[in-house]
Amino acid sequence: METAKVTLIITVLAFLTACGSTNPPTQKLTETQMVINQAEQIGAGDYAPLEIREARRKLDEARRAYDRKDYKVAAMLAEKARVDAELAQMKTLSGKSQKAVHELREGIRLLKEEIQQRENRN
Amino acid sequence: MKTQILLIIAMIVVLSACGGPPANNPLLDTARSEFEIAQKDSSIAVFAPVALKEAEEELMRSTSLWEAKADKVLVEHHAYLAKQKTAIAKETANLNVAQMQIERAEPERQQVLINIRRADAERAEARAIAALEEAQRERSEAERARQRAEELTQRVNELEAERTERGLVLTLGDVLFDFDQAGLKTGAMRTVENLSDFMKEYPERKIMIEGFTDSIGSDWYNEELSRKRADSVRKALVDRGVAGNRIQIVGYGKRFSVASNQTEAGRQQNRRVEVIISDVNGNIPERRI
Repeated sequence: METAKVTLIITVLAFLTACGSTNPPTQKLTETQMVINQAEQIGAGDYAPLEIREARRKLDEARRAYDRKDYKVAAMLAEKARVDAELAQMKTLSGKSQKAVHELREGIRLLKEEIQQRENRN
Repeated sequence: MKTQILLIIAMIVVLSACGGPPANNPLLDTARSEFEIAQKDSSIAVFAPVALKEAEEELMRSTSLWEAKADKVLVEHHAYLAKQKTAIAKETANLNVAQMQIERAEPERQQVLINIRRADAERAEARAIAALEEAQRERSEAERARQRAEELTQRVNELEAERTERGLVLTLGDVLFDFDQAGLKTGAMRTVENLSDFMKEYPERKIMIEGFTDSIGSDWYNEELSRKRADSVRKALVDRGVAGNRIQIVGYGKRFSVASNQTEAGRQQNRRVEVIISDVNGNIPERRI
């Protein structure tokens, strides 16, 4: 009798954790919005336009799901939007660094060329 | 008994809610193959190990959900997260590689700048030395020029030449010529000697020999005589080795008298030959009429 009750409780808990919480994912939406904002601030619009656009679209969808109290869908969309925004951030940082590497190398190349030209002139 | 029934119902609910056919999931397959490619990329393994691990955990979550025949939506949700996290790992590696390259390139850039500055310094030093040498050369040239000027003054004094507005002018008086003749007297030879020495010493100089007479006699005769006397001086110089093209002659006759033709003393002064010495460029100003 007691064992059966405990089993029932465990089963229900397992069900709840397996298929996601039905609590409103307010925190997730807020966090995702913050990640998107950060990505936009560092220039994701230029370096990862598709990813950041996708993140915004999914967050909007997540908000609509939230409004109709479809919290499970809202949470998943918010999670997707968040990885999209994180990818946009990383792509932006990586793109900027690679640009910097290119400029640095180009600068060095030009400097070396200048030295060569000066030596040729002398 | 009642609880047991409840338990069975609950189990059925769990199975029907989270279960599904164990068919392949294309999204999960894509996520897995992308992850495997990333895993083989040594730069990702080295430069983004944490991000790669997170992608792997997400992939495992999706796979075990799929194996447990969980809801397709949930499987695909985690497959998507795994796919994006794989991409994040790749970009993280790119970022770290780029930053390492920047760190390595900076010292190289500094070295290049140092090389440039050193080369500049060497060039500046070479320029300074050249300028110093140039200044010394100019100074010794100026010194030589001054010495030559002094020598010239000395020679001019020896020639008994006068400095006039046309330059140096040497006057050979009437007494150096035979009366009414163009030939030079032996007494004129010292002057001619000095002049030819001067001409040899200053090869850049040219001379203009101008002959003059007094007003007695016809103009034609006087001009002819004055020209012949000038020519005698020219010949004497050429005989001593002075190039003929450095000497111009002209006979002015009675023109440009320097004294009155009313007295014998004046007339004697007017009978003369003047030698005008050019400047260093060979220029002799025209006689002003």
